[in-house]
Amino acid sequence: MSGRRRLGLVAAGATLLAAAPIASIFDSYAWLLQCLLTVGLIAGAAVGARTLRFPAWAQALSMIVVLLLTLTWLFPSGEEFLIPTPATFAHFGDLFTQAGQDTRSYGVPVPDRDGLLFVTVLGIGSVAIAVDLLTVVARKPALAGLPMLAIYSVPVAVYVDSVPVLPFIIGAGGFMWLLVSDNIDRVRRFGRRFTGDGRDVDVWEPSPLASAGRRLGVIGVVAAVALPLLVPTISGGLLSRLTQTGTGVGVGPGTGNGGRINLFASLSGQLTRTDEVELVRLKTDEQTPYYLRFGVADQLTINGFGSRTPTGESVTQGLPDPRTSSGTGNFTEHQAQVQVSEILQQGMLPIYQNTVGVDGLSSGWNFDDNQQVVFSNRRSTKGINYTFDYVRAKPTPAQLRQAEPMSEDDPIVRLNTAHPTDATVTALVNRLIAGKSTEYDKMLALYEHFSSKNGFRYQLSTQPVGASSEIAAFLTTKVGYCQQYAAALAWMAREAGIPARVAFGFTRGKLEGDTYVITNRNAHAWTEVYLRGFGWIPFDATPAASVTGAARSDYAPDVDLPTAAPTATEDVELPGAAGPAASAGADRPDRPDLNDPGATGPTGGDTGGISTTGFLIIGLAALLIALLLVPALRRVLLRRHRHAATVPRAPKVTTLSGPGDIVVTSETTKARADAHAAWDELMDTMIDFRIPLDPTETPRVTAQRLIKDAVLLDEPATAATLLGSAEERARYARQPLQGGELTTALTRVRKGLSRSATRRTRIAAVMLPPSVLMRWRLGIAEGSARLAGAGSRLSATLAKFSPRRLLPHRSR
Amino acid sequence: MTTPTWDEPGGPMPNDEFRAATQAIMANIEQVIEGKSATVRLALAVLLAEGHLLIEDVPGVGKTKLAKALARSIDCSVRRIQFTPDLLPSDVTGVSVYNQEQRDFEFKPGAVFANLVVGDEINRASPKTQSALLECMEERQVTVDGTTYELQAPFMVIATQNPIEMEGTYPLPEAQRDRFTARIAMGYPDPRAELAMLNGHGAHDPLNDLRAVTDAGTVRRLIATARDVHAAEAVQQYAIALVTATREAPEIRLGASPRSTLQLIRTAKAVAALEGRDYVLPDDLQALAVPVLAHRIIPTADAQLNRRTTDAIVSEIVHRLPLPHDRARSPYDTRNNAGGNNQYEPRGR
Repeated sequence: MSGRRRLGLVAAGATLLAAAPIASIFDSYAWLLQCLLTVGLIAGAAVGARTLRFPAWAQALSMIVVLLLTLTWLFPSGEEFLIPTPATFAHFGDLFTQAGQDTRSYGVPVPDRDGLLFVTVLGIGSVAIAVDLLTVVARKPALAGLPMLAIYSVPVAVYVDSVPVLPFIIGAGGFMWLLVSDNIDRVRRFGRRFTGDGRDVDVWEPSPLASAGRRLGVIGVVAAVALPLLVPTISGGLLSRLTQTGTGVGVGPGTGNGGRINLFASLSGQLTRTDEVELVRLKTDEQTPYYLRFGVADQLTINGFGSRTPTGESVTQGLPDPRTSSGTGNFTEHQAQVQVSEILQQGMLPIYQNTVGVDGLSSGWNFDDNQQVVFSNRRSTKGINYTFDYVRAKPTPAQLRQAEPMSEDDPIVRLNTAHPTDATVTALVNRLIAGKSTEYDKMLALYEHFSSKNGFRYQLSTQPVGASSEIAAFLTTKVGYCQQYAAALAWMAREAGIPARVAFGFTRGKLEGDTYVITNRNAHAWTEVYLRGFGWIPFDATPAASVTGAARSDYAPDVDLPTAAPTATEDVELPGAAGPAASAGADRPDRPDLNDPGATGPTGGDTGGISTTGFLIIGLAALLIALLLVPALRRVLLRRHRHAATVPRAPKVTTLSGPGDIVVTSETTKARADAHAAWDELMDTMIDFRIPLDPTETPRVTAQRLIKDAVLLDEPATAATLLGSAEERARYARQPLQGGELTTALTRVRKGLSRSATRRTRIAAVMLPPSVLMRWRLGIAEGSARLAGAGSRLSATLAKFSPRRLLPHRSR
Repeated sequence: MTTPTWDEPGGPMPNDEFRAATQAIMANIEQVIEGKSATVRLALAVLLAEGHLLIEDVPGVGKTKLAKALARSIDCSVRRIQFTPDLLPSDVTGVSVYNQEQRDFEFKPGAVFANLVVGDEINRASPKTQSALLECMEERQVTVDGTTYELQAPFMVIATQNPIEMEGTYPLPEAQRDRFTARIAMGYPDPRAELAMLNGHGAHDPLNDLRAVTDAGTVRRLIATARDVHAAEAVQQYAIALVTATREAPEIRLGASPRSTLQLIRTAKAVAALEGRDYVLPDDLQALAVPVLAHRIIPTADAQLNRRTTDAIVSEIVHRLPLPHDRARSPYDTRNNAGGNNQYEPRGR
């Protein structure tokens, strides 16, 4: 089989490998079968076309025809037999429309819908054709990586925070295979591969070229990994994924709901969005409602807080009533109507705590009694309306003080007090709760620790909560936002033996008439602790002043207010809250099937968080511009330096006492140096204006050529001649030219050059002077060559000290 | 003998005097040879460089006329040798004859005992005869019968020859070619100059009207002035690089000799002086590389088969060789050197 045909098959194989990411989109593997078939047939068509020595366009055409036939066969409209008819195309159009609808209505992984399968097969088939043409016909396999990468963009678009890595590795493997095959084929065209000593080498044997390639590859990979880490806006995603493995809300792909979602990361994403979008509209008959909640993180490990997969019965079977189990008597009953916007798409329903009934939901919503969340593995909150009844408990501190410590064997305690060991946290908690007798007092002491008096400061631009060490670090740095406050308080409560978890939801939002409008800025997280007889009691340690729509309760007053806080601070429109002034860097566009957890969040606030981010962005932009301007700056400095050199100074005579009493007139030496500086400047100017230099030319000839090439007239021409003769005399004559107006001459030549140059050349000469860039490039090349030389010398030296030399020689 | 020795050429001249003297000579010669000022200047430069001149061209372009005009412009002893196939070495150097009266051998000086020796059609004599010139041209002395006779200063051989392809010619031996400082070609005159020649030569030979405009003493001072011209180290390095390049070029079997380096610099000094400079430029060397070096080198058989002339090979070297610098200068070179390194391409088919 000829190299080209083999390469065509490799291209097909590589395309299939690159299609691996699609696996994470579909529920089953029907797509794979169809794609296998399609790509195989296309590859077969390509091989056939090449065997028959079709021209390139005919090869492409045959592949396209085969793709069309395959699509007709796999997705028949029922009115044709293999040959596509107009009805077929109409059917294809329908399939497209259907696919568009499906992408909107299904979350990943999607079932085998005809429309989606059609689009997938069409896409993979097109990629197969493109890869084949690029690799075999155009011999540009590197370019073939682009269509292959396009496949990977699908899961990237669908999964926001946890993109599967393995499929990408498989796809990358396919791409590598393609590149290697192409290169081997290329080398084979010259005949056999052989080493420097003339011996034949096997395909996989390392060669010096290969090692150079590997070195380049390593450098490339290191740069590609290191650079994004240095950019703060990107590091959020990458770092948090690296550090938060396993903390996501584990709704595995197999169970039908969206991929793993990290509530913390999503919350951070909501809060740092640059725009403000409406998520929920809520009407309630309660005067001062508390926070809407939809999710909890109740597992604290060394990796930080994570969520259990919620389990439970359908909401239609009724929700438990807390009044039957709680020790407080002061419950009030309320009802709320919720209208979720199109943007909030998640499998968790925003409701108030102690909801006793939900109406208006389609089937598929379940209630987890333990987490007190309503969730669905199939449905999304997108655009739904529902009403729910809830009871509001308003325990007083006195009542709460009666709550007794719970037995350590209680499952609630066991599950919700597990925590990593951290000496700092333990010491802090022990200090804070010393002398407190009741659970509530302990909790209050911990809660009050997070006051601005103790130096805690709200700042949104901190990293989302990751590993436990980061939570502990917050207690020291004291700079963070709701995530950190909530997670830290929950941990400290657990440390004190009180069951605690982090709840996610929304603050109250803005009141418009009788409706609360909740946006992404209201996303929030807070702490819930379990007190015997009272159930889960929320404690929001985040400074109320920094959180839009923050609320406080009697039992947990605002610690930053000097006086005792009133019941549930009425700060729906908190004067101190700066509203949605945020301009955080990470603009995360909405993506379908994202489970937006969110919790309410404070935005803006009196802290410097947002402005810091703004400054950071401005700073980065300024840095970028400054970096771009560096070559120009370098050029200007160089020119000024040289001009300074060519400005005549007062003559000075110095006598060097040496052998024979050499008298050096500094004037002559100076004149020589001046001429050289002027000449160097002229050379650089020529390079800047893209007039080639010729090292075989004498200064005189160079000046003449410059005049001719750049069509210099009159003054600039005279100036160029002057510079040429100055350099000539400086180099070769006994006496250099003195008193020449070299700086003026340089300016004139430069003017003349820029007059005759094109606009593009002119701009490049000023903004990105080729002379500077070239010198840097040469410097880098030289430096790396020197480094490589040093490296090889070092390895040679090390080889001398190889312990093998000490071993007795085997032949002896 | 009152003849000054070669090493006492006299004192250097002031600039004005030098220019006046040299321009007088050139103007004088140009009365006879029209439209060839570059050639005339080069011929004069060779004289000032204390070298010998070989004028090579097809018959009838004025080789002999140039030689005679140069000789006549200087008031000094001029001898002419017409090289014929039967010319003997003793005709050139001189011979000891027996003097019956004094009963002793007496040396009769040959034609080379003059300030200017015009060797016409030098390659029509056999190599045997030509070799008689070897000693006198380089060492400016003649040894006959064990006695060495010094030649006068200045001493210059101006030889003319036809290209080797012409009938009835012997090639000059390498050793002798190497003794000629420069080989110049006359070239055909342009139509205007040819017309002027027709008008001028119609009535009588203008050569007859030529009067000497200078004398040997002045020429010695001119030579001294030319010697005084400054050749910077960078220029010397460039000369060495040029000559070395001819030795290393793959197309050349025999490169230029160290003597040629010396003569290259000397001629360049003379040319610089003629242009009114007191320093040599690499430009001078570039301009002189072909006249001074091309006749000395022997191309390989391959290059000859490919009809590569030595002139072309030398000028290609000039175009390829980077200029040495006496200081660290911009290390980059944006020249598009496509075809510049074709010396490494396989030659022949």
